[in-house]
Amino acid sequence: MLTLLEQLDKGFLWQSPGGIHPPQLKTLSNQSAISRLPLAKRFIVPVPLVGEQAILTVSVGDKVLKGQALTEGSGFTYLPVHAPTSGHIIAIEQHASNHASALPILSCVIEADGLDTWCELTSNSLEQLSKTEILSKIKQAGIAGMGGAAFPSHVKLNPASEIDLVIINGIECEPYITSDDRLMRDHSDEILAGVGIIHHLLNPQRIIIAIEDNKPEAAKNMQAAIERSSLPKGQIRVTVIPTKYPSGGEKQLIQIITGKEVPSGAIPAQLGIVVHNVGTAYAIQDAIYHGKPLVERVVTLTGENIAKPGNYWLPLGTTVADALQAVDFKPSTQQKVIVGGPMMGYALADLDVPILKGTNCLLVPSPEEIAPDTTEKACIRCGECAVACPALLLPQQLFWHAKAQEYDKAASFNLKDCIECGCCSYVCPSDIPLVEYYRVAKSALKTAAEEKHQAEQAKIRFEARLQRLEDEKNAREAKAKEAAAKRQANMKSSDKDAVAAAMARIAAKKAQAESNTSVSEAPTVTTQTAIDPKKAAVNAAIERAKAKKAAQADTSNVKAADHTDALLDNINADDVKTDDKQAKVAAAIARAKAKKAAQANDVISSQTDAITGSEHNKDQVTPPDDKQARVAAAVARAKAKKLAQAAASSSATDPIATPDANVPTESTDATDASADHSTEPLTPSNTIEPQTADSSVSDKQARVAAAVAKAKAKKLAQVAAGTSATDPIATPDANVPTESTDATDATDASADHSTEPLTPSNTIEPQTADSSVSDKQARVAAAVAKAKAKKLAQVAEDNQDQSLENQHNEQHNEQHTEMSTALSPEQAKKAKVAAAVAKAKAKKLAKSAEQEEQ
Amino acid sequence: MTSIFIAIAVLSLLALVFGVILGFASKKFKVEGNPVIDQVEALLPQTQCGQCGYPGCRPYAEAIANGDHINKCPPGGTATMEKIAELMGVDEEPLNAEAQSAVKKVAYIREDECIGCTKCIQACPVDAILGAGKLMHTVIAKDCTGCDLCVEPCPVDCIDMNPVETTIQNWDWKLNTIPVKVIHSEQEEQAC
Repeated sequence: MLTLLEQLDKGFLWQSPGGIHPPQLKTLSNQSAISRLPLAKRFIVPVPLVGEQAILTVSVGDKVLKGQALTEGSGFTYLPVHAPTSGHIIAIEQHASNHASALPILSCVIEADGLDTWCELTSNSLEQLSKTEILSKIKQAGIAGMGGAAFPSHVKLNPASEIDLVIINGIECEPYITSDDRLMRDHSDEILAGVGIIHHLLNPQRIIIAIEDNKPEAAKNMQAAIERSSLPKGQIRVTVIPTKYPSGGEKQLIQIITGKEVPSGAIPAQLGIVVHNVGTAYAIQDAIYHGKPLVERVVTLTGENIAKPGNYWLPLGTTVADALQAVDFKPSTQQKVIVGGPMMGYALADLDVPILKGTNCLLVPSPEEIAPDTTEKACIRCGECAVACPALLLPQQLFWHAKAQEYDKAASFNLKDCIECGCCSYVCPSDIPLVEYYRVAKSALKTAAEEKHQAEQAKIRFEARLQRLEDEKNAREAKAKEAAAKRQANMKSSDKDAVAAAMARIAAKKAQAESNTSVSEAPTVTTQTAIDPKKAAVNAAIERAKAKKAAQADTSNVKAADHTDALLDNINADDVKTDDKQAKVAAAIARAKAKKAAQANDVISSQTDAITGSEHNKDQVTPPDDKQARVAAAVARAKAKKLAQAAASSSATDPIATPDANVPTESTDATDASADHSTEPLTPSNTIEPQTADSSVSDKQARVAAAVAKAKAKKLAQVAAGTSATDPIATPDANVPTESTDATDATDASADHSTEPLTPSNTIEPQTADSSVSDKQARVAAAVAKAKAKKLAQVAEDNQDQSLENQHNEQHNEQHTEMSTALSPEQAKKAKVAAAVAKAKAKKLAKSAEQEEQ
Repeated sequence: MTSIFIAIAVLSLLALVFGVILGFASKKFKVEGNPVIDQVEALLPQTQCGQCGYPGCRPYAEAIANGDHINKCPPGGTATMEKIAELMGVDEEPLNAEAQSAVKKVAYIREDECIGCTKCIQACPVDAILGAGKLMHTVIAKDCTGCDLCVEPCPVDCIDMNPVETTIQNWDWKLNTIPVKVIHSEQEEQAC
């Protein structure tokens, strides 16, 4: 048993099924060598890929040289288009195409200048170029299969799999056509050079040049060329095969040469075989060795209505009309101009169409030469077509289904494997144009497949849109729900606030009545505080107690409440000495309220301890006579707490947090960085600090303020801790280190920073402090604060751990603040004015903050 | 007598066994949803145009599965109707004349008249219109299903429904329709 290679070397041939033997009629055009026609005046170069894979590089009026690329593009199968001659672009327009439909496609119309000047050409030798460079050159030369299908050659020269066998197709089985025959006779050495390049690229085991036995001269010339070439002997040979139509079909040729059948839907490369036309080989050597792009090809102009039939080098883009005129075309009535051979060609509807890369023949037969269109008769089921079919299909069945427009049934008889060779039509005794039916069916199937694909795409898009709308709706609903919940919460709190405020007012009135001190509504802050400092002290105590209560409300238990009571007693004892009755009343009220609040919650947490602990600390540290300092400390502590918790919430994405310039945004050790800040006397935080301190010069009222502030601060802090980073309430707390990953470090940092009253959140504090100067106001404010604190504290229950941590930090911070407040000057009036200003500002800010919150 | 009892017993036993098998099978091989709906939907052209009176192709597929008329899909045309008739095993129902002569269309926005109201974008069921508020819109022709739904909402009536252009790619080979030009021969010219 011989191996395939040995069989190939021996020239062993197989039989391909079907096929016919139509009259050759090749002698009409193959008698003379390939010649040239005078250059036409006008060329039409279709640029069908423009808009899909390519862009035009020229515009109307541009001068182009022969061989200049007109398009530029990317994509694996993209092929550039070149100017076939030098001249000017006179139009870029839709022009009738060289296609059975003659539908217009985008084309460049070039007016030749008659000089036929080449653009700059670079010739190379194989040794200079790598394989990729060769492939790229072939691609840039625009070389497509010259056999008729015009498939980009660089794709076939760069296969994914190993190629064992290359077949150079010189069969040219269709009647009339002799372009390949003449090319092989006249340019055998050039073709061999092209084969050498293909050999270099694919490195196959064998190269077979297949030629039909009706072209003995071509076979002889090619054999001689092989002898002359430097290609390894034994690897390349000419195989002459018997004449039969359609042996030149790729699949048929492979079957004849190797006996292998290319499976349906597969390509020959999967068998390790590649087929190239001889014209392609010629074009490849022209591109590599001479640098010439594919701008002309050999076209057989034949038929009895042509006076000078033969083969001619025609620049691509030459119009059919021009070419025929140059060879003395004498049309008869109802003249058909057929592109391609009589078997597979198509008649042109318009002669003003260009010669393309795959146009190998123009046939203009006389009426005697070609059978006139006959009327189709009924199929007699003779079965001749099935015998003739080279693809082993059942043409009758295909015909029935195609005629009945049952295209899917036709498809089930492998309609797609039909190569449209026309054998069945040729042998049909009933003159049925079978191939026409198949073409109709094929295009209908293609359209159906396309529509199905489009429907699928439309469905996907429709479903994606529905999904998107659904998602948007859900998001909107969630947002609305959230907003509603917030609104409801706000409403509730404002109701509560109103009640609390009313209660506070009553309590204040009672206290006033008992003290018998006539407190007229002081026109200015100074006078009022000067008049009764003691009352203020009482108020302060009350407010502080309330605030404390509020602070505890979030986590307190009974034990904690008791603790607070004890603490309250202590504090009140200090403050109230001078005014016993008032104080006692106030203390009692405060205590009662605290108890109530404490009992309302039965959640036990360590946070309470932390709070009370901090209270202790404060009381111990603060000297009883230095009330200013105490107040300041309280204020500072409140701020610290708030800010610390804001930091704990690590609102890294908070947009409002960023404006603060003092934030150590990228510090990994935030504590160190902020510590530096706090010791700098020049930083805004320190310079403005005195203001707050000064405002507290009016002694006892300031304590009230402090208490209020504390309560508020706590509230805010817990809100910040409890809510997410994007919570608008948290946003005023600008001192957050935006990129801190370590929450504890961040807390420290912001705690130190909290001595700055410049941030919006901080400015709120002085406001509440100062506004409480008139005691009634203060009480109301305190009550409000208390209520809010309570509410918010409950909201924040789930964040107890975090807040606990923050309260520890607060304690550290407190001491720090006291140091700074000790330095504060005692210019009381100035300070008060400043405080008033601050108050106004703070109020405004607080309002805007509230609006934001809503 | 005994044989009768035996027969009854055997038959009851068999009935029980088969009952169990059927019950098991109905649980094990239960099909979620109605597969016919999916099959009908696959046949519909997915233009989502609503010309059938249902909000999209799937609702119409559901309606057909529930016994609605099969001739309510003008974009699908007679071919779709025939396929549905075959699938559902019902008689073919002719479409109205307008639907039968319908050609595939694609929306086109006259861009210099577009005021950028985005109404057509909202109307398009397949997101085939591109644009933004107060900016010109345009139709992505390859994704347009020609459903017509964008024409109505346009406040300036700048949307046209154009027939799909015939190109070489979608050109349909038709029997004996190659237009043959009569080229006068020289003899005839001389005769004239």
